Amino acid sequence: MKITINNYHAIALWRWNLKAGLQQHQPANAQPTAEGEEEEEEEDDDDDDDVCGICRVAYDGCCPDCKTPGDECPLIWGECTHVFHMHCIIKWLDTESSKQQCPMDRRPWVTAGAAAPPPDAPPAPRQAARVA
Amino acid sequence: MASRNKRLAREVADCQKDSSKSGITIRLVHPDSLDKFVGTFPGPQGTPYEGGTYEIEIEAPEGYPFQPLKMRFITKVYHPNVSSQSGFICLDILKTSWSPVFTLRTCLVSLQSLLSTPEPNDPQDAEVAKVYLTSRERFDETARYWAQVYAGAPSSTSPNGASESEGGEDKQGRRAAQLAGIDWGIADELGAPWVVRFAEMGFEPRKVVEVLQLLNYRADNRERVGHEAVLERLFS
Repeated sequence: MKITINNYHAIALWRWNLKAGLQQHQPANAQPTAEGEEEEEEEDDDDDDDVCGICRVAYDGCCPDCKTPGDECPLIWGECTHVFHMHCIIKWLDTESSKQQCPMDRRPWVTAGAAAPPPDAPPAPRQAARVA
Repeated sequence: MASRNKRLAREVADCQKDSSKSGITIRLVHPDSLDKFVGTFPGPQGTPYEGGTYEIEIEAPEGYPFQPLKMRFITKVYHPNVSSQSGFICLDILKTSWSPVFTLRTCLVSLQSLLSTPEPNDPQDAEVAKVYLTSRERFDETARYWAQVYAGAPSSTSPNGASESEGGEDKQGRRAAQLAGIDWGIADELGAPWVVRFAEMGFEPRKVVEVLQLLNYRADNRERVGHEAVLERLFS
């Protein structure tokens, strides 16, 4: 029997690799995890592990201000291992009440893999003008 | 704004899904607005609030989830960190320790656990906190009585089953004093019926206690002081 393929639709799925995101920033000897095993989880609508804690939209979706998921709305990892949509955590850190802390554990937010600021340029303290 | 509403709508739906498990419910005040909610939760077990259901008025600010939810007890509750008059709550996560990962549901859970772990050294209601610190027994009895009267907790399982209203003037006076949020130890000592009598004229019960103490209006001294003197003080 002979089959002639006239045309086909290629469909690709993508997901953020939440674990790799951390490993990327770890010392070189970190082993990549075996692919394929973690794919079994079914769509679990309100699995808290799979949503950005700030907007509560899936990591694989995008923050509420974006239209398309993916590189335009990337994820960001903290050294504390917590993950958010980058746009969401920026919005939070921009508020005075954030005190520059991770919303999950209140440790000072440090983006994983981010270079330490040069000593002569300390991060500008955010000071809202307070007028009585 | 759209993101805020999307998130709130999802939270309400999620909470409805597991409300049979948690006992926590959330409903919209106006069906077409995501600004105001009423949440309920059961009083925690092993506390004077057990068996009661507590209603919370919730307001989601425009900046939610970057700004804290506003919460207030609708159901009157006798607790050091909740105003016995207004229901305002003293809880750090609703103020300075807010985090955008908190939700309607997790905040209600926090209030529920606040009921089991009062923080009398950072009170919202100083009078209640004072009673809590001086006599846990008096505190518990009043808190339990409030749970019965306001939160629908089953009345005490006292074996004699005596009806409350038959307890005589002193007992009724004590109950009235409790409902007014007065330390009933003090009310008993002054003579609860007298305290209640003045309070029923429309004076703030705590002020009544203050004045009666000041004038030493008790027992044999009552006649000597005279109730005109009390009224004069109360009006001043």
